[in-house]
Amino acid sequence: MEFLGYERPDGTFGVRNYPAIFGIGTTGQQMAVEIAREVKGALPLLLDEAALRLGEDRERVRRTIIGLGHNPNMAAVLLVGLGGGYMDPVGLAQEIAGTKKPVEVATVLSSGGFAQALDKALGTTRRLVREVSRIRRKRVPVTYLTLGIKCGGSAGNSGLLSNMVVGRAVDTLLENGGSAIFSETPEVIGAEHLLAERAVNGEVKRRVLEVVRRMEATIKRAGEDIRGSQPTDGNIKGGLTTLEEKSLGALAKTGTGPLSGVLEYAERAAGRGLFFMDGPAGPISIMVGQAAAGAQIFAYTTGGGFYTSFRNLPGWGVGGLPVAPTISVVSNKSNPRDEEEERFFDIHCQGVLEDRESIDHVVKRFLRELKAVATGKLTKAEKALPRCWVPLEMYYTGPIL
Amino acid sequence: MAKAIMINPSDNTATLFGEARAGDMVRIVGQSGDVMEEIKASEHIPVGHKIAVREIGEGERVIKYGQPIGATTQAIRKGEHVHAHNVVSLIFPGPPFHSA
Repeated sequence: MEFLGYERPDGTFGVRNYPAIFGIGTTGQQMAVEIAREVKGALPLLLDEAALRLGEDRERVRRTIIGLGHNPNMAAVLLVGLGGGYMDPVGLAQEIAGTKKPVEVATVLSSGGFAQALDKALGTTRRLVREVSRIRRKRVPVTYLTLGIKCGGSAGNSGLLSNMVVGRAVDTLLENGGSAIFSETPEVIGAEHLLAERAVNGEVKRRVLEVVRRMEATIKRAGEDIRGSQPTDGNIKGGLTTLEEKSLGALAKTGTGPLSGVLEYAERAAGRGLFFMDGPAGPISIMVGQAAAGAQIFAYTTGGGFYTSFRNLPGWGVGGLPVAPTISVVSNKSNPRDEEEERFFDIHCQGVLEDRESIDHVVKRFLRELKAVATGKLTKAEKALPRCWVPLEMYYTGPIL
Repeated sequence: MAKAIMINPSDNTATLFGEARAGDMVRIVGQSGDVMEEIKASEHIPVGHKIAVREIGEGERVIKYGQPIGATTQAIRKGEHVHAHNVVSLIFPGPPFHSA
């Protein structure tokens, strides 16, 4: 199994070739938006500075930004912002420069003013865009591919359809040497023992249980007891009988292969295989964290119904999240008579419900789409929507000062 | 005819893609699309709900995705509705948090 990727100096391969502008903090975000407006081809990432956050949260934000800089889809990185402070663009640039990619900085402090910094940044961006446009795709095996997986807006059929399709495809990807990352710790609660059984060794098994218990304790402290309130009334009405059935439906998207490791949020995976990354349920948070961990391409499964009737909400995850292309996989149509809907989503499973195709067949379609998108085919979201210029959410557990 | 999918060969339930009224035949298929058998639904089973594809004894594990998803509270016959009224969670075995 192969794809055509852009080679990076550190030996990784991207499925896209972004000259990325990392806008750090409010000043940086403003600069990044201005640059993207002026220079065609520049990709703005609006990143938090974690100015009023403490310890663990700040560390996570820093790790995420550095991880995003390492993502193989970033051909070059220009970090912009006020300068100085805990999240100094200069310090971040030094960390990312380890990849040997072109990494540059423009700060208000070092340029002597906002306008000056912006001018410098614009010149640098134009140069970087030209520079990276020279890079060509090369044929490589999927051992260089990491798929990020997320589900959202799940309906009763999700575990059966869209999640099953992605899970089967993940098995094939892993068998061919590729990697995948899944998250959403709250969803694992109720099926963690089954996930732990797939761990490749005792340490990974221990980590699965540790991470799930930690999330459950966090939820309990907030006054919710997940085990006692799941499945919900809506789930039960839709046919889900027990918490473990619900969690297994969610886990179906991870396939049946062995679990190679458990990552903290935005921690880069060492080695290949299937990884579970700790994180909350928010789609942007998850995808940002997985991209920082190394995912170059995403599969987003959804049940159909409420969300798909909105046709790809930008930034919701199925839409144009900037860091990596997302293949949307929909279980069933929101409105069976709606012919238009299929134009907006990449892979549909409606055919299975209508007896026109088998799950096997949809899996094959998905794998073809995965290779095609990795090689350059635009997803429906990439074609239909403008770039998503919203501040990228990360994962916070602590207070704001 | 209503279709129901048996996700894993070791499952003792299949999940309905289409609603079945009492007495309707339900076609049980696998992931390959192959028809495995046809079972008569002995009662009304809504979309997304489960039908027993064989006898499940009292206290026996209910299997879906090749994994236990609960245990029965009473014997269930082939073709019956498998849900909150005759299954309890193995992890949280108390009465359902919500009224059924």
